[in-house]
Amino acid sequence: MTKFDYPNLGETVFRRKLDCGLTVEVVKKPGFTRKLAYFVTDFGSIHTDFELEGTQYHVPAGVAHYLEHKLFELPGRDVSAEFAALGANVNAFTSYDMTAYYFSCTENFDESLALLLEFVSTPWFPEESVIREQGIIDQEIGMYLDTPESRVFDRLMEAMYRKHPIRVPILGTKDSIRKITPDILELCHRAFYSPGNMILCVVGDVDPDSVAATAEKILGTDPRPVGQKLRDWQEEMTCPEAFTQQQMEVAMPTFQLGFKCEPGGKGEDAIRREVVGDLAAEALFGESSALYLELYEQGLIDPSFGGGFETVDGCAMLTCGGDSDDPQAVADAMLEGVKRLLAEGISENEFVRMKRSALGRRIRDLDSFDSTCFRVCAYHFSDFDYFRFPAVYADVKAEEILEFLTQVVTPQRRALSVITPL
Amino acid sequence: MMQTMEILPGVTLRCYTDHRFKQGCLSFQLIRPMTREESALNALLPAVLLRGIRQYPDIRSITGRLDALYGASVGALVRRIGDYQTTGLHCGFMEDRFALAGDKIFAPMVDLLRQFLTEPILEKDGFCRDFVEGEKKNLISTIESELNDKRAYAAGKLLKNMCREDSFGLPRLGEAQDVAKITPAELYRHYQTILKTSPVELFYVGSADIQTVAELVTPLFDGMDREPSPLPAQTPFRDAGGSHDAEEMEISQAKLCMGFTTPITNQSKDFAAMQVCNTIFGGGMTSKLFMEVREKQSLCYSIGSGYYGSKGILTISAGIDTEKESHVRQEILTQLDACRRGNITQDELTAAKEALLSSLRGVTDSPGAIENFYGTAALSGMDMTIPEYMAAVTAVTTEQVARCAESIRSHSSFFLKGVTA
Repeated sequence: MTKFDYPNLGETVFRRKLDCGLTVEVVKKPGFTRKLAYFVTDFGSIHTDFELEGTQYHVPAGVAHYLEHKLFELPGRDVSAEFAALGANVNAFTSYDMTAYYFSCTENFDESLALLLEFVSTPWFPEESVIREQGIIDQEIGMYLDTPESRVFDRLMEAMYRKHPIRVPILGTKDSIRKITPDILELCHRAFYSPGNMILCVVGDVDPDSVAATAEKILGTDPRPVGQKLRDWQEEMTCPEAFTQQQMEVAMPTFQLGFKCEPGGKGEDAIRREVVGDLAAEALFGESSALYLELYEQGLIDPSFGGGFETVDGCAMLTCGGDSDDPQAVADAMLEGVKRLLAEGISENEFVRMKRSALGRRIRDLDSFDSTCFRVCAYHFSDFDYFRFPAVYADVKAEEILEFLTQVVTPQRRALSVITPL
Repeated sequence: MMQTMEILPGVTLRCYTDHRFKQGCLSFQLIRPMTREESALNALLPAVLLRGIRQYPDIRSITGRLDALYGASVGALVRRIGDYQTTGLHCGFMEDRFALAGDKIFAPMVDLLRQFLTEPILEKDGFCRDFVEGEKKNLISTIESELNDKRAYAAGKLLKNMCREDSFGLPRLGEAQDVAKITPAELYRHYQTILKTSPVELFYVGSADIQTVAELVTPLFDGMDREPSPLPAQTPFRDAGGSHDAEEMEISQAKLCMGFTTPITNQSKDFAAMQVCNTIFGGGMTSKLFMEVREKQSLCYSIGSGYYGSKGILTISAGIDTEKESHVRQEILTQLDACRRGNITQDELTAAKEALLSSLRGVTDSPGAIENFYGTAALSGMDMTIPEYMAAVTAVTTEQVARCAESIRSHSSFFLKGVTA
């Protein structure tokens, strides 16, 4: 493993790409008892079209999440119980563009790590168990359909995108999951659970070389083919629907507002764009903005209000939302807010303070093992070393923030999703 | 290392000095008895204090100040700890050593906390009316928004019905109709009273030692007229009899909540065994409820149990199909019976103990978890340190677990039933 020091952040990271193609990163945390390991594939709910060994495939929506559920079985063994016996807590999640399996423990780290690598890399999909899973996922879909925060966001994605698969919920639908078969699960596993498409990230006081050795022992040394994602997602920077509304059992209206942005791509430029997007969100509607104060004092937003710049493979957006009696008024105020911000500009003092705040919050966040692990993996798939974020902040100029807002916060790029009480 | 010091009469400073973290935290809590009369006032108070102070009269200027302190944060802290309600503020801040040379964060942060507590914006007879009215609206909306989370809504209804005669049935943030009645003058008078008479708990996690912290926080009380009176002791569950209720709602997944009681509380010698029992029964992915009801029988998506040690209350919550209600109820009782009969495998016992031990070991790895554990344990009457607690968990036997399960009695239930529109 190669050692990298980040003295300004007080962090030391060890990295290596193994012969099988797996990237291993260890964020060393001396003196901490907890250890957290993330084993993540660059494959999420939106990756339903791909090519593997010369053949093109289209798989049903919800397959990445279904696969995540089913991997927890090994022939004749109960993976959760084995982790529990080791005193480790195991779980997983599927997002639009990645699937992560993770455990945390204080003891028996080596055994737990071997088990994590083993179960995720072992496809085992008996037909009867795949069918039984439908009942469980149906319930999960039902739960999301009852959750206003999920509904309001899913509907926003539908309103904003014509083609990009982000318009379909991560779990898929009750219909689409019925088309998922053991063969499809096996195919997706073969295409995207090759070590070359994955990262193993560990945060804690562990021996980095022994992490790499365990990975090599379980995954072998031979590289395997990786599915090539087909991304026929190019879209105009306008929203097919400007407004969408649904009634639910909620206490008061809740909303999500989105402005469509150009997708970011990879590497340093993409990260810089993300930092610009974050600072732009802060400048426009963060708690230190004139707009936030005005909306809050008018009672149009409350402490549930928040937002930021979001990027997913192939798309990006500025979003904000929360509870409000009049979501349309908030949406209109955004356009006015940008006009005023452009007229007034951002002073050098203000900008330094904004950057200092964003940097301080990111540094504080490094105390969280979960957030650190998640970010290391997500940034790795964007070809960027997360721990280099201070340099990106240092370099960003106030003009970039204003340019970004001028380009993005326009009526054509805007969509509003609202959930109202029955 | 954890140290405790009474810096003034009725003011306890708990200090956990640790150099591993990049951020520190400091909480200030006034300790109150949980009562219907004042729970809404206590819940509203910190939100009003956070709206503006003399030097920083609105949210924008406050945030500007926090931004300059490298993205420090200050938030409302309203907790329920058994029969007590706490009200106060929680500060989080980057450690000084990561700031640009010469910049200080912790000391100015404590001074900002002092301003929040002692220099609010006042109008003729109380707090600023706009702040109070705005925050009343927000608090009411937060209380009513519990409806949005159907699981929390159903669990709240169960506890309310179950604890009709106990403070545990009062919602942590008060009742919406009580919030609506609060006036700026009344809230200010209440603040003056509780500032004068309440025991205060200050909790610090970070790199500073207790002497340094004590010197910095003592000025918070300068010029304050303090006459603290001791708190009534925590009381056992006051049982007003069971209740079985249902409500219909347009939802696709129904929620079944069941409530049980046990005489074992966090002050009992069997507390650790009861925790193990709860974990085997319904805590986490290896519990009987999860393995049997969800995994083997696919009867639900989510199921789990929670044990409230301050009152000896155990609750189960399950997300299910409406028509499977009686089946799930029966299955939950069957699993409880299995625990009572001692029908517990060595693997189940080990897994439950390991899960508890692992989370206890992990507490000291996060400033927030340290504050949450030690900041509430002492007040709740749970007087074990983490090592003592771990030793007690390690020693638990299957027989003890079965005895704990035998002490569990069915009490109440609440069913949030799905109907189609």
